[in-house]
Amino acid sequence: QVYTSPSRNPYLNLAIEQYLLRNCAKSSTILFLYVNRPCVVIGRNQNPWMEVNLDLLRCGIPSPTASSKHVPVDLVRRRSGGGTVFHDLGNVNWSVICPSASFDFDRNRHAEMVSRALRRLGVADARVNDRHDIVVGPSEKETYKVSGSAYKLITGRALHHGTLLLSSPHLPVVSSLLRSPAEGYMQSKGVRSVRSPIRNVDLGNEEFIDAVIGEFGKMYEGGTGVVDVDAETAGEATWIAEEMETIDSADWRFGQTPQFTFSTHPTEEDPRPRPPLP
Amino acid sequence: MFWQQSSRAVRQQWRLCNGLRQHVAKSSPSAFIPHPARSFHAARSLLAVKPVLLADIGEGIVECEIIQWFVEPGAHVEEFSPLCEVQSDKASVEITSRFAGVVKKLHYDAGEMAKVGKPFVDIDIQGDVKQEDLEALTPPEAPAEENKPTPGPVAGQSSTISTPGAASAAQIQGSVPSAPAGHVAPISTEQKGKHASLATPATRHLSKELGVELSHVPGTGKDGRVLKEDIYRFLEKRNSSPTENASPEPPTPAGLVSSDIAASGAQEETPMPMTRTQEMMFKTMTRSLNIPHFLYADEVDFTSLVELRNRLNKVLHKSGLSDGQVNKLSYLPFIIKAVSMSLYKYPILNARVDVEGANGNGSSKPTLVLRSQHNIGVAMDTPQGLLVPVVKNVNSLNILGIAAELARLQSLAVAGKLSPQDMSGGTITVSNIGSIGGTYLSPVVVEREVAILGIGRMRTVPAFSTAPGEEDKVVRRQVCNFSWSADHRVVDGATLARAAEVVRTLVEEPDVMVMHLR
Repeated sequence: QVYTSPSRNPYLNLAIEQYLLRNCAKSSTILFLYVNRPCVVIGRNQNPWMEVNLDLLRCGIPSPTASSKHVPVDLVRRRSGGGTVFHDLGNVNWSVICPSASFDFDRNRHAEMVSRALRRLGVADARVNDRHDIVVGPSEKETYKVSGSAYKLITGRALHHGTLLLSSPHLPVVSSLLRSPAEGYMQSKGVRSVRSPIRNVDLGNEEFIDAVIGEFGKMYEGGTGVVDVDAETAGEATWIAEEMETIDSADWRFGQTPQFTFSTHPTEEDPRPRPPLP
Repeated sequence: MFWQQSSRAVRQQWRLCNGLRQHVAKSSPSAFIPHPARSFHAARSLLAVKPVLLADIGEGIVECEIIQWFVEPGAHVEEFSPLCEVQSDKASVEITSRFAGVVKKLHYDAGEMAKVGKPFVDIDIQGDVKQEDLEALTPPEAPAEENKPTPGPVAGQSSTISTPGAASAAQIQGSVPSAPAGHVAPISTEQKGKHASLATPATRHLSKELGVELSHVPGTGKDGRVLKEDIYRFLEKRNSSPTENASPEPPTPAGLVSSDIAASGAQEETPMPMTRTQEMMFKTMTRSLNIPHFLYADEVDFTSLVELRNRLNKVLHKSGLSDGQVNKLSYLPFIIKAVSMSLYKYPILNARVDVEGANGNGSSKPTLVLRSQHNIGVAMDTPQGLLVPVVKNVNSLNILGIAAELARLQSLAVAGKLSPQDMSGGTITVSNIGSIGGTYLSPVVVEREVAILGIGRMRTVPAFSTAPGEEDKVVRRQVCNFSWSADHRVVDGATLARAAEVVRTLVEEPDVMVMHLR
């Protein structure tokens, strides 16, 4: 079963994703595709102050069309693990929800599926690396990450989702956005992001989505009607509305940060020399 | 009777007990060893609270961070209700409960790393439990461990003792089924599926724990079902013929061979779980294995002591010189006092060896730690087994005082009410196996001591008179054999011999004690 979302609201899309994870038939496999407006999405167990330049975030990033205007950027914490990524309109998110038994067997299964789709579209060197990312590049030494993935496992069900950089106009700004000035002063228990150089695949959203749906259909034969989730009614369904409220709250976004210490001078537990204060 | 409860072990048990209070102690009859959770064969407590292991979350991950707990101790959970969320690299996994029940304890805080395959939460299980869920609770029994020579698992166990604190609680629960059951044959897993006998999963689990074949147990439940009571009864019948006696000689193992095995013909092995006392004995004695023993035995003429005792008992009986507690003296108080008096001359026998230099020594050179008080442990055979309560500060007690204290400790031991205070702090031990039988023996020095005295049976023997001029006459003598063992790392034969001579002189001529009266 394939779903797509016409909405660009990251909170809504993530809520729908969770809804699909928790409420669909236990043996079903689902593909969900969605695009978000510009936002930075951190993992379940990450520290926003260490991962993101919040100052830059607040100001917004320069608009590609009119350089004086600024595009607001959301900060979202998703429910699955992993690192920090940047979403925008040139980035398509794909999500596969399947029974956890088949998932345990092969974590790369769906990443492979997506890279097959890319290869079909002419990106010949798309492949999956050890960290379950999709990379392109002429050789092993020179790879660019185009997709990062993350997982969430609950009883009997597994969610594997990833991004795909197709044609994002904001690439240059991403690296400064995801570099926090406070990083050198903090030591945290959570998950740290692993940085990789990124690149656009340079494809259109529609053709990518179609290719992925095609590959999905080949993998899981059987009725795949593509359903466009009706954003409005979805937004009103109680479960989804509540979920949206939860992930849009400061408590979730910042309050779920695992334990960390921040000090402007070296301490016993963290004897690294500190970068000079701004 | 030659082994003493090591004071350190008892103290640590006490600490552990306080940490393990949630374990139901329905089966522990006495308070002297306050350690109910060690009684793994009382399965009623097993079913109450079980540690749940962290299941494998794939990708060969061995540990992951607990991000968030959804429950706290006291919370009710149903099957499939979420317990916590863990994170490992990219995967965020929600762990749900396999059982319905009440959460008793969380083994990790949010933010700590939880190990896969180890317990992470204790749940008081209520309701029926599926067999495969029960399998998930007990750690996978490595068959190699069970067949290892006994010092192995015991060493593992004593290391779990030395880490008091909540975190070790579940590990003990986990290790207790596998470790002391060195003689519990691992029941093969194919039994669980193909068993024809009727039994609930809980009963099956119990039978597996105890190493009892379900098909051997007569079932009295509905349809001939085997109930837990049936298993207990079966075990009792099996245990009543082999021995529970705890006064064996050190060379022979604690009586395992039962009398009815000889009759049946084929070799039958009946694994039997050890009682708490036996386990303690096992551990303490294994520690004592480090000590190189040497034996010094001598025959002591008790004739004079016998006369003195009779005279004194007559006096006590008549006038009640004592404070009413003691009206009859045995030989033991005299012997204990004699030992204490010789310790004044040879204080090395009252010392202990400190190998690790834990006493601010710094270096790891072994040191001898002399002790001022003579705390003489007296080995006693009680219904629970071998116990060694300590008579404290014998140097400041007179014979009546020693006798009174002995009587007090004896009554407590028989009742099973000895406190840890009574059992700890011993500096040297005396063991009177002669009251049961035996002449010469080779007692085992207790950990943290360097010497031990074993007293044999008193016998009447003919001997040549020592009266001048009558050396050819044969007279009756009461003799008793004293067998000393000492730690040859610090005590040499000459020292022990001299000390033994002092004791012998005092016992053979007890009136000498009058000279030392203060």
